Amino acid sequence: MDSDCLSLLPAVCLVLADPKQSPPDDTSLEKLLDWFKELHSQSDGQVLLQHQPCLLEFISSVCMSKTTDPAILSFTLKLTGLLAATTQELHLFDEGGLLVYVFEREAWGVCDLWEDASVRSGWLQGLLNMLKHQQALGFMCGNGLIKVILQLQNDRSLFVACLANQLLVHILNFLTSSNMTNGSDVVGSSESSLRPDWVAASSEIMNAVVEALSSEDHPQVLQGLRLLSLVLSKCGEPIISTLWKDVLVPLEVLVNRGSESLIQTLITVLEAALGTPLLSQSEYKVEELLEAMLGDGNRKECFHCAALIVKLEKCPEVLKRKATDIILLPLQCVSTQPQAEKEINVVLKEQLSQKASCISLLMQSLSSLAQLAHTKYLFEDISIHSITSSVLLLLRMCSGHCPTSLLHSNAFTHLIGCCKVQRCGLDTLGALSVYEEILDLRKDIFGVLLDYLQSPDSHATVLKKTFQAVKRWIVCSPFPDLLQFISHDLFPVLEKRMCDLRWEVRDSTLEFITQLTTALNGNSGFTEALHISGMVSVLLSSLADAEGYVRASAVAAVGEAVTASSHQMVLVSNSKLLDEALVQMMAILSQDTEGFPRRAVVQAFTSWLKGSHLITALELSLSSVLSLGGSDFDWEVKMHTLELAEVLMEKTLTCCPYAVQNFGSSEETRFTQALIKFKNFGLFDLLFNSLFDCDRPVCEKACALLVKLRTLTAETADLDNSLLVLNVCGNRWGDEVQRRYLNKQQAKASVSVTNGVTGSDEGTDCGLHSTKDISLPKILQILDLDDMQRMLTLSSDHVVNSPRSLMEDILSAAQHSEENIVDCY
Amino acid sequence: MRVCSELNDTHGPTAEEKTSVPNVSRVVASQKTRKHMKLYCLSGHPTLPCNVLKFKSTTIMLDCGLDTTAALYFLPLPLVHSPRLSKLPGWVSKDGAVNLEKELKECSGRVFVDSQPEFCLPEKELLDLSTIDVILISNYHCMMALPYITEHTGFTGTVYATEPTLQIGRLLMEELVTFMERVPKAQAATCWKNKEIQRLLPGPLKDAVDVWSWRKCYSVQEVNSALSKVQLVGYSQKELFGAVQVTPLSSGYSLGSSNWIIQSHYEKVSYVSGSSLLTTHPQPMEQSSLKNSDVLILTGLTQIPTANPDGMLGEFCSNLAMTIRAGGNVLVPCYSSGVIYDLLECLYQFMDSANLGSTPFYFISPVANSSLEFSQIFAEWLCQNKQSKVYLPEPPFPHAELIQTNKLKHYPSIHGDFSSEFRQPCVVFTGHPSLRFGDVVHFMELWGKSSLNTIIFTEPDFSYLDALAPYQPLAMKCVYCPIDTRLNFHQVSKLLKDIQPLHVVCPEPYTQPPPAQPHRSDLMLELQPPPMAYRRCSVLGLPFRRRYERIHLLPELARSLVPSEIKAGVSVATVSAVLQSKDNKHVLQPVPKPAPVPPSKKRKRVTEEPPEVLNPKPLLSGAVPLEPFLAMLHKNGITEVKVEETADGHILHLQTEDVLIQLEEDATHIICDNNEPLRTALRDLVLRFLQKL
Repeated sequence: MDSDCLSLLPAVCLVLADPKQSPPDDTSLEKLLDWFKELHSQSDGQVLLQHQPCLLEFISSVCMSKTTDPAILSFTLKLTGLLAATTQELHLFDEGGLLVYVFEREAWGVCDLWEDASVRSGWLQGLLNMLKHQQALGFMCGNGLIKVILQLQNDRSLFVACLANQLLVHILNFLTSSNMTNGSDVVGSSESSLRPDWVAASSEIMNAVVEALSSEDHPQVLQGLRLLSLVLSKCGEPIISTLWKDVLVPLEVLVNRGSESLIQTLITVLEAALGTPLLSQSEYKVEELLEAMLGDGNRKECFHCAALIVKLEKCPEVLKRKATDIILLPLQCVSTQPQAEKEINVVLKEQLSQKASCISLLMQSLSSLAQLAHTKYLFEDISIHSITSSVLLLLRMCSGHCPTSLLHSNAFTHLIGCCKVQRCGLDTLGALSVYEEILDLRKDIFGVLLDYLQSPDSHATVLKKTFQAVKRWIVCSPFPDLLQFISHDLFPVLEKRMCDLRWEVRDSTLEFITQLTTALNGNSGFTEALHISGMVSVLLSSLADAEGYVRASAVAAVGEAVTASSHQMVLVSNSKLLDEALVQMMAILSQDTEGFPRRAVVQAFTSWLKGSHLITALELSLSSVLSLGGSDFDWEVKMHTLELAEVLMEKTLTCCPYAVQNFGSSEETRFTQALIKFKNFGLFDLLFNSLFDCDRPVCEKACALLVKLRTLTAETADLDNSLLVLNVCGNRWGDEVQRRYLNKQQAKASVSVTNGVTGSDEGTDCGLHSTKDISLPKILQILDLDDMQRMLTLSSDHVVNSPRSLMEDILSAAQHSEENIVDCY
Repeated sequence: MRVCSELNDTHGPTAEEKTSVPNVSRVVASQKTRKHMKLYCLSGHPTLPCNVLKFKSTTIMLDCGLDTTAALYFLPLPLVHSPRLSKLPGWVSKDGAVNLEKELKECSGRVFVDSQPEFCLPEKELLDLSTIDVILISNYHCMMALPYITEHTGFTGTVYATEPTLQIGRLLMEELVTFMERVPKAQAATCWKNKEIQRLLPGPLKDAVDVWSWRKCYSVQEVNSALSKVQLVGYSQKELFGAVQVTPLSSGYSLGSSNWIIQSHYEKVSYVSGSSLLTTHPQPMEQSSLKNSDVLILTGLTQIPTANPDGMLGEFCSNLAMTIRAGGNVLVPCYSSGVIYDLLECLYQFMDSANLGSTPFYFISPVANSSLEFSQIFAEWLCQNKQSKVYLPEPPFPHAELIQTNKLKHYPSIHGDFSSEFRQPCVVFTGHPSLRFGDVVHFMELWGKSSLNTIIFTEPDFSYLDALAPYQPLAMKCVYCPIDTRLNFHQVSKLLKDIQPLHVVCPEPYTQPPPAQPHRSDLMLELQPPPMAYRRCSVLGLPFRRRYERIHLLPELARSLVPSEIKAGVSVATVSAVLQSKDNKHVLQPVPKPAPVPPSKKRKRVTEEPPEVLNPKPLLSGAVPLEPFLAMLHKNGITEVKVEETADGHILHLQTEDVLIQLEEDATHIICDNNEPLRTALRDLVLRFLQKL
């Protein structure tokens, strides 16, 4: 393939270098670069430039041209970097002085092209590509390129600036890496210390960082901080400590200035510093700086800062406590009674009186609390009890319940009906379920959650969050009144919500019931309550909902209810449930106009089958499901049907309960019987049909299953083929099998003729005529499954995506554009 | 040609003819203001307003809502004989001293008046109703007291309303009359109203106020007579009434509902009554025309500010579906027009999705048929979406399809066809929402005992607990989903921010949080300046700065003017004319030539004598500059001048002549004793520096 491509390369280079041609789109150029990259990595020391002199010509002509397109120049810069990534190639470039020519912008045919951001980005990328060996670094230092890179760090294009930062970090890293001292391609590496020009380069970079941080220019400070955090996270010692010593003073100034717009970046820097050995050395003041960021909690920015610190993974405990205290202030302030009020912070008070800042502060407070709860953080100064009560009070306020005395009536007005705070608060309340200490608040918690479920004004998204919180609190630890609560309080609300006008609410209610049933699987009381309270019949009636998504969720809920009942043996007395569910689900699978419910039906069958309690009960429906699911229009339904088939195969072939009872002791006989069972279920029809399906994933899955089957049949020596004969007439897959069968026969016949053999030593039906019945092992043999599987694993666009087709496209586009020019005249 | 003049007279313009000699120079100086507009508040009910605005000698009544909540004190009127209600014990005070067995009955632990229900009328004593010139109706719910105002009061004015308001208002009135007349009561109970007796009655009767002003329902004749006084108007149609112009604007609340603009040339009053910004069936609310009002009278906000209509509609549907699924019936006590259209539309979509498509809906009202049909024909009053359906072969409201497919059936009453076609479980929409009269009383008796059934209250006008009081104990489920689409406080504060009226007048309850939720400061109007609050019987002087009047100049007078330009684009002319003011219109007429006095022997001729016409002196403008004036004096031989600077200008002392000249910004005085020629000479010198008109 590559040799084909290489033969096209000169022509492609000519087209690309031709200023009259409009350049191919960026994606094509990127793909071409990818191909070069791959080629380069596979070259095994062969130097591409030597074999392809057209490349050097191309590069020099582009740089010299007076009419080069920026896209082509950018491509050329990247390509040059790529090609100069080994010392050998670099020398080739250097021989003609081409490398300097390429990366020295004053030498270009058109200097103005530097104004184009894509060219600057290509220039940086080229250097980044090249920086694989000492000579490359020497080239950069020797030609004063470091200075240019530092300038680009403040480029107006964010991409360029970001790339410049990356390159600088790469350079610093390279200076300290082993490449510099004992790398394989180091020429004259006897000296262990750095060359003086390299020392100068590294100090140039570091000085630039210090300078940027001390600058009055905001964007420059930002870029400096970004580079600093990159260095901290990507570089090693001694770079880190050397740099840190230099930047500490300006950094302290920045932290103490407390500018809002720098907080995020400063925190990123300090976060990066936390991950380094700097943290353990007090003279580096990492912790001190973070603490300074927090202040006394009386600056507008400190809450944002505290929220970020709470999220830090490797945060010193003391600092985390302080940040936690600060971030919880807004929550406590809004929901605390005046008598319990500590000294009220004026800044906070003012922030809470404005709607936007009030909501954002509370959300920061709540989400930080949730974050802490996820790690089961141990609160010290403040009890988790009072925190939870605050969250509950806040949630009550959001739904318009006003506490008797209130600290911030303004805040209360902002909160009424505020969905954002409600959602965030519910998430937090759910997260708090990990604390056993607050189990005694459960009554209040469920009270608030029920209020939310009942309120006619609860937004659909708020209800969804409420369901999640309810689930977490139910699941966290069983309590004595659980069933009482579920059947007396929860179920009536759920029943009403399943009649809600909004399909989203009906849908999330059903999802909640499914999750609850799954979570409480094994709780016989719950399953009983599900039946006694009439929930099951409500679920069954939801199968006829007008909205497809809701029907799908109802199918899942009913499926889960059936599973739970079967586990609890409640089904014996409620076999009506399974019967009714089967009737309605089969109706959905055969008639529903939307894909989701049909997919859900097949999935429900799969999960039932996995449970294995139900196999006998489902036997009658299975063949219908397999045939309906296999012939569905929706490829996902077909996929799910194949998954069902897979489970069926596994269950039957490994530990099939009825197989053991019904069949003889011999392993082989059992296997044959299982295959006969499959045949009766229509499993083979499904697999073969799917094998020739128009959707690739379906074919792939069917092929995998058939390969598995083939292995099993091959392992079973005395398989009775006569019992497993399939009819290959009158269906699509049968025709295909017959065609292949005849082809093979023909090939065999011609081989026989050339070998002078006329008769058939196999004594089979090898005459050149079609046949109606072929045995399963034979079919599996005829189909070249391995080849099919190999083809199927390739992505469907593998042909059009090849480098060859890419190059052909570039060439033909050029040709066409010439034709078009001719047409114009 | 029109000129503006600043008003000076302190007397209000009257309808009598007045003449006066204009004196332009005096007019310019006047800055006096006074309150001249009054608002008489005849109802304290925020959503059933009845206010009277006296504006420019015009007396305008704004709405005449009828408070029917008084009916809750009365026993229900059963349409079918109810053994329970007919056997109630009469009420006798514990000590036996007061015996009102015939008038009051004890039912479910409460005492009710056994008489035809009565209603609380707007205040009639505050103002002579016969002086009302015009009544503006904003929606059909706010006109139910009309017959009480226009009949037997000497009212001779006009009533303005839009066509749907008139037609649907008529339906509601006729329905009310039918409800009452179908179940006649032998006598009216009045003894209990005696102050001494009422005080001894148990609550809540004891606390009922103004019981003597309660009246029985009107008759069909009175309805017809009252409605015959209605003059129809369309949205944005400007109606001139005397000196004021009234314009209805779409208010978005119900079919044909309006807000009103009442304006003269220089004053604008907006009257905002039941308005809605939600997308329901009526035309959306017109807001921009309300801008720049001097006074905005704000009534008819939502009665249940904590209930969001969307949430309530959802609640309504899910409760309905739950009941039907469980095999129960749903009773919806409602008015026969209004929210019911939206409910039917919502249910039209919902029933199929909830898989309840076969459940029948019954709409029972004497006017059910007309209400459903009217809603379809008032296309121009509907929202854009529904209007566009008029051009398609489908009716604007989907209830037509419900009727066609027999899912919705309507009957004038439970008697007749209904009883033979009635199928359960079903949904019944019927009136009256007070549960005291109408077909709903029958369904309460029929379904109240089963817990399978549900009553869903959607109308916000009545307390559902009070409405249910005579039916206790009740097994049927009760759901309260008040759907009030009128503006809430959040919407209204946004609206007011947009339209920026100078002053807002509103019912007192809007200026404080609801009594049940004293902390909800978001459920009140907080404005700067604070709104002027009114209650029943308040009389408010509206804070108007009335500064300008428009005066018409007759053409012949205009022709005689000689304008002179005093600065670019501004010309001034003096005019001598007679100002005629009549019905708040002012006209400048040429001064009639004095008729030759006919030789007469009559000794007295006081009347009709034209006023004496004086040749007006020219008007002066400009300023006297000090230095040039001194130079001028010097030139004229006056050399010894002592100049003294004062706060307003200068005083010049001509020492030889012993004359003082005070030069001020707007006046020059020459004080010169007994030397008329010198004074004249000096005056002429001053005049040289001034322009004359």
